[in-house]
Amino acid sequence: MAMMMPPRMNPSDSASGPKQHQSWSPYDNNGGTCVAIAGSDYCVLAADTRMSTGFSILTRDYSKIFQISDQCALASSGFQADIRALQKNLDARHQTYQHQHNKQMSCPAMAQLLSNTLYYKRFFPYYAFNVLGGLDDQGKGCVYSYDAVGSYERVGYAAQGSGMQLIIPVLDNQLKSASPLVLPKRESATPLSESEAVDLVKDTFASAAERDIYTGDGVEIIVINAQGVQKHYMELKKD
Amino acid sequence: MSITSYNGSALVAMLGKNCFAIASDRRLGVNFQTIATDYQRIFEIHEKLYIGLSGLGTDVQTLYQRLKFRHKLYQLREERNMRPETFASLVSAMLYEKRFGPYFCEPIIAGLSEDNVPFICTTDLIGAKQYSSDFVVSGTASESLYGACESMYKPDLEPDDLFEVIAQALISSVDRDCISGWGGIVHIVTPDQVITKTLRGRMD
Amino acid sequence: MRLDFSGLDPVTLHRPKADAGFDLPCQPIGSAPSFDLPAVADLDGFEKAAVDMVKPLHGTTTLAFVFKEGVIVAADSRASMGNYISSQNVKKILEINPYLLGTMAGGAADCQFWQRNLGTRCRLHELGNKRRISVTGASKLLANTLYSYRGMGLSMGTMIAGWDETGPGLYYVDSEGGRVKGRRFSVGSGSTYAYGVLDTGFHWDMTIDEAVELARRSIYHATFRDGASGGVASVYYVGPNGWKKMSGDDVGELHYKYYPVSDSPAEKEIVMKEASSAS
Repeated sequence: MAMMMPPRMNPSDSASGPKQHQSWSPYDNNGGTCVAIAGSDYCVLAADTRMSTGFSILTRDYSKIFQISDQCALASSGFQADIRALQKNLDARHQTYQHQHNKQMSCPAMAQLLSNTLYYKRFFPYYAFNVLGGLDDQGKGCVYSYDAVGSYERVGYAAQGSGMQLIIPVLDNQLKSASPLVLPKRESATPLSESEAVDLVKDTFASAAERDIYTGDGVEIIVINAQGVQKHYMELKKD
Repeated sequence: MSITSYNGSALVAMLGKNCFAIASDRRLGVNFQTIATDYQRIFEIHEKLYIGLSGLGTDVQTLYQRLKFRHKLYQLREERNMRPETFASLVSAMLYEKRFGPYFCEPIIAGLSEDNVPFICTTDLIGAKQYSSDFVVSGTASESLYGACESMYKPDLEPDDLFEVIAQALISSVDRDCISGWGGIVHIVTPDQVITKTLRGRMD
Repeated sequence: MRLDFSGLDPVTLHRPKADAGFDLPCQPIGSAPSFDLPAVADLDGFEKAAVDMVKPLHGTTTLAFVFKEGVIVAADSRASMGNYISSQNVKKILEINPYLLGTMAGGAADCQFWQRNLGTRCRLHELGNKRRISVTGASKLLANTLYSYRGMGLSMGTMIAGWDETGPGLYYVDSEGGRVKGRRFSVGSGSTYAYGVLDTGFHWDMTIDEAVELARRSIYHATFRDGASGGVASVYYVGPNGWKKMSGDDVGELHYKYYPVSDSPAEKEIVMKEASSAS
């Protein structure tokens, strides 16, 4: 039988409520990085395949990309349990929409839906940092970047996750175009071709895997264009 | 906000072919307020040895003055300039002297040895030295700098190409940091000359 | 958790309740959104910790002022998370409807969601009352909504600007539940710098172009001095026919237009040293 230590009286302990483990958190960070680039007629989405917790790797082979519709995919990093719940939620809403409207949801509509879904959990957020990518109604690539509670904006490229700060300056350097807020409006389409964009994504992930411990093992890349959805995979450093 | 990000800074040094480049931003601020846009963070110790200091502004100035003093004494006693490796050890020892009340600075040391082999090194705020064969970064924008340098760096670049690479890496990185930027300055040091260029960056 | 302020709504549309087991946010249009709360003992501590995940826009400069011809609204476009710039292209002036503008400062998601919600309710007001809602009414709707969530950790400092039958209107509404009518406001970390320029240059009888230039300069000066403001300075004008975006300028380029480029004394030193070390 274990010896019981006398309970330490902590002035902040309230008499009401069950005694809870002091440092339990409902969240965990499974790491990882997601990147998306929008082109004139394509969209590239990529995410590494490592899932970690603390300093341990849980698996080297986890997909962070979820295909919601033919024209729209969601890449998320953060707490994968919350992300899984979010993906199921969106999938259910999308299926309902398809039954009610007899067509798939467009990418901009899905973007607004995702924003509202995240905001309805404003006081108990999904620990998910999302990047939504696809083709809009005109067939142009579109990428939407979110924070954890649903604020979003349409951008030409985005990165989220642990390697975000490593990758974004490189994307800025290669892809930065005139802000959509500038008047008179300047053309802001990415000048890169589809294969150049895929190569850029592979380079940035290779660099991020060198310096970020939570990014590595492999990168899954999907390209959405008029011909459909193509998948690529590239190995990354496993250390 | 932490004490090392009180003033804001960004520093990077890269090795090239028989040359090196060292660059920094120009901002001095107090938390988010910008006070100056011409603050000097890179100092010459002798014509082939430069030190860049990131972190708290007052410690940057004090540490530079102490190092300059020690180097002058060395010159008087030894009748020659310090080698970069020796200077790095001096910096490391001086920082460790203050182990339990440190200078809030993370220096970058860059120099050319007598046979013009370039050398770069960085230390943390209490003197742990780290040599590198490609690039070193320091300051509040260091994560962005790591990513940018990792992608853009190539070994054995000529001075002009090295300038392009280091300038692009610095500008892209400080444009993602609220408290560094407001211009930049680059020194490219080759065996024959020192070229100094200021960078025209975003002033926001 | 559903906060009840149905007493303030003149019209509520009802729809059949969604299945109890199907936990989706399907709600009647115009009614209060329903939010789940986590079942923890220390809600405040949890919300404090969760706030780290929200993309706060505390670093910002927005301003609005009334003058003879109408209302000018201006803002920067930077979003920062601590020292990291998460975006340089955030739309901080939200177009609620063709004659009402709202500005965004504080939590980005809070501003986007509640101002979109306000737009919905303004439209419902129009449909139910066959006339546009006044700026007073719109700002009151928003202020009452925010008041019901007071203490929950929402973060918004917004200005509602518009033109209605009584002329130009400008209100400041924040997440503490405050609502103030005024003629000149600036909100955000760069507001002090913007006030300096705005107060000096203001006079009531400005032309529209002069007012736009004053607003642009104020935002520019705030972005120069405040590290948490930057990006693009957008300026809108609200007149009798609604709002119009007057200018959007990258402040990086504005700097080189407003300040002549000349070497500072420190740079001159280095240039001279370079000349001597090269020789």
